[in-house]
Amino acid sequence: MKSITKLINFSEGIALESGRRLDSFDLMVETYGELNESKTNAILLCHAFSGDHHAAGKNEDQSIGWWDQIVGPSKAIDTDEYYVVCCNNIGGCSGSSGPTSINPNTKKAYGSDFPIVSVSDWVNTQKMLMNKLNIPHWHFVAGGSLGGMQALQWSIAYPDRIKKAGIFAAAAKSSTQNIAMNEVARESIRKDKNFHNGNYIEQNVIPKNGIKTARMLGHITYLSEKHMDLRFGRKFQDDASKIDKEVDFEVENYLQYKGEKFSESFDANSYIIMTKAMDGYDAAGKKDSLDEALKEIKAELLIVGFYSDWLYPPERGKEIQIAAINNNIKSSYMVLDGEHGHDSFLFHSEQYSKIIKKFIQS
Amino acid sequence: MARELSKIINNWVPKESKVIDFGCGDGSLLQKLIQTKNVLGYGVEINNSKIEECIAKGVPVIKQDIDKGINEFESSNFDLSIMARSIQCLKSPNLALERMLNLSKRCVVTLPNLGYWRCRLNLASGKMPVTPELPSSWYETKNIHLCTIKDFEQLCIDQNIKIKDKVFLNSNGDSGILASINPNLFAIEGVYLLEK
Repeated sequence: MKSITKLINFSEGIALESGRRLDSFDLMVETYGELNESKTNAILLCHAFSGDHHAAGKNEDQSIGWWDQIVGPSKAIDTDEYYVVCCNNIGGCSGSSGPTSINPNTKKAYGSDFPIVSVSDWVNTQKMLMNKLNIPHWHFVAGGSLGGMQALQWSIAYPDRIKKAGIFAAAAKSSTQNIAMNEVARESIRKDKNFHNGNYIEQNVIPKNGIKTARMLGHITYLSEKHMDLRFGRKFQDDASKIDKEVDFEVENYLQYKGEKFSESFDANSYIIMTKAMDGYDAAGKKDSLDEALKEIKAELLIVGFYSDWLYPPERGKEIQIAAINNNIKSSYMVLDGEHGHDSFLFHSEQYSKIIKKFIQS
Repeated sequence: MARELSKIINNWVPKESKVIDFGCGDGSLLQKLIQTKNVLGYGVEINNSKIEECIAKGVPVIKQDIDKGINEFESSNFDLSIMARSIQCLKSPNLALERMLNLSKRCVVTLPNLGYWRCRLNLASGKMPVTPELPSSWYETKNIHLCTIKDFEQLCIDQNIKIKDKVFLNSNGDSGILASINPNLFAIEGVYLLEK
């Protein structure tokens, strides 16, 4: 699989939904496969909350992309046939402009001064990237969770530039419960003594404990009760591999491990910015009507939910489907079992992959 | 789906109308309506492999258990709803009829006729009917609400549903003479165009 990773600068900057401006910004971009001569085979992948530009294959660090089970040669999103593009969103911490980047005006890291960004802002930057790559339209824009929100927003914001959208384990807006969960996570970060109101970089520390706790909570919400039960049950962790001496059960050790690992790589301000973007998104827009908001859509939609997902349960996808039907949009809605709760959208299953593949080809 | 049946349904579907097909199966009827009538069609189906076939055909489809209700489509302004060979599988066929006519001006319903002479012979011999059209044994059939042509038309009268048109099919899948003279005895299937 031909894969290219590069940092692209947009010196023209962007006016953000919040009213603030980034005078210049970077996007870390990864592409797979090749754009065909007629430029009709481009696919955009939108990452979820903690994802990045590395969607498929192994990178230099030997790490496997977040959607490698779905994206690659002969897979559901076939990189032999399609030119697949994925970028790290602004506000993130994997190379694109974000709180850890240097603010060109102050020559210091943005830290807490990095502006609040929104799903619309991400879609706008992805559109700028599309222009830079000379792509006239996306054949397909897809993502799960927060990525699914971007796919939906794409079809709303740029109806002439997208043929099909894949909206997986997503919703037209975050639920009250989603916001509540995210607030607990943010609170644990803000109350870490090393947070320093978000300016911890200057102090040469990171609010590691806060990020770790936030991620542990997050992980619980991504999995289903049944899956956790099957995977860990009430098994005790053996002493030799305990991460913390306080740990009794395997599930505790798992969460400790995942939280620890995440806290070493993910930026605390990014955590806050990304979750705020998720909470703030509402496809219904200012008119507060999803039916109104979907009026201009020309893309065909594929909405997939998973029964085991209680964070963005299938009913949330159904709401998009009904609004799509009300607007005479060609749209399909599928629900799969999914063993992995909310995370199910990341994993291959025969039916899931087939449906994606056939939808792209149809 | 039998050719005659899809031909009849085809005749009743206005060009460029908005159609919902409950229990759409592999989407072949909708695909035909999309090709010949340029309809905007949506299928509703519960079986995952059938849904996959719809998506492969480019037929929009919704995964749903019709028994759990179809009210949510009431705001969608459908011109026509179709329920072919499925109504007898539902828990409440009478409610389903009501709801279909709430969400579209007209609906097409087709159903197997338990009054067909072969079924009657089976029953006369003291056993539940098993015929080529109703091949499953009583303990494994999905048809939990079978009725005769007479029963169905009585239900339409009781619920103030107008029968705008109807065609009866014989065992060859044609609208034969016997089936139209005495449908309750000779038709294997009734095909109805209904209106509230």
